[in-house]
Amino acid sequence: MLNWFKRRGSQRNSYSTNEEWINGLKPPPDANAIEQLREHLIKGLKASLYKYVQRDLDDFVEDIAQDSILKILDKYDTFRGESKFTTWAMKVSVREAYSELRKKRYKDISLEQHSQFDPDEKEAVEIEHDQPGPDQLTHESMVVQKVMKIMEEELTEKQQKVLQLLMIDQVPMTVVSEMMDSNRNAIYKLVHDARLKLKNRMEVEGMDPEEILEQM
Amino acid sequence: MKLNKKVLKKLLSMVPMTHEGEIGCDECFDELNEFAEMELLGKSPEKAMPLVREHLDKCGECRQEYQALLDAMKVLDFK
Repeated sequence: MLNWFKRRGSQRNSYSTNEEWINGLKPPPDANAIEQLREHLIKGLKASLYKYVQRDLDDFVEDIAQDSILKILDKYDTFRGESKFTTWAMKVSVREAYSELRKKRYKDISLEQHSQFDPDEKEAVEIEHDQPGPDQLTHESMVVQKVMKIMEEELTEKQQKVLQLLMIDQVPMTVVSEMMDSNRNAIYKLVHDARLKLKNRMEVEGMDPEEILEQM
Repeated sequence: MKLNKKVLKKLLSMVPMTHEGEIGCDECFDELNEFAEMELLGKSPEKAMPLVREHLDKCGECRQEYQALLDAMKVLDFK
């Protein structure tokens, strides 16, 4: 693995300061720096993942450490020095691990769910254009219908689709990002904009979300 | 689009704390290493970086990764 880097001699250097790490990882990277970084990431990843990965933890962690090192080598020059380099590297590796874990979990769960009944389905309400007359509705259901109508009017199709996937289908944001050919930041921003639209429209309509919640 | 009461409640509960100045996952990620070190050093990062704290409160995936980073740093004897 990672045998494409050039060795800088057989002596095992020690890496502790940020400057030493940066010097060790700049091209051509030092084999000792790579090995020490790998050991560091593996130890940290095991501690942060053992609660979530019951089977094949060692293999999973090894794969993630290797993928993370490639990412770290690719973007170590974006490290701004506001923390220890190893903390920054660990952060990159943790995100890699959890992104991978979420994708794996979702794949497994969605395969299982294909044959299962969705218990929430019976409670789901379609937004309807032809609503029943007010005398047929309770106050609560009128409010619910009104908020739903606002959402339908204010939110784009993409926002509605993303909210459907995230909140109703319970698809992780990492997976939604992939499904929408996007990234997590963009999906978060899209949902934030949807919340903001909802907030502004409710203000215009004189609707207080907290008051509505109390009534529900 | 389909909604149920549970989802609607969750959405409505997030509306009051929504504002224009929120940061996204990338900006949060950029600051996370510094935020984590401050926390482990007892330096109240939520005061220095309130928008990061706010994002972590709102974003489950970033919060999970932050907790994992802290777990890793603790075993690596961060000081």
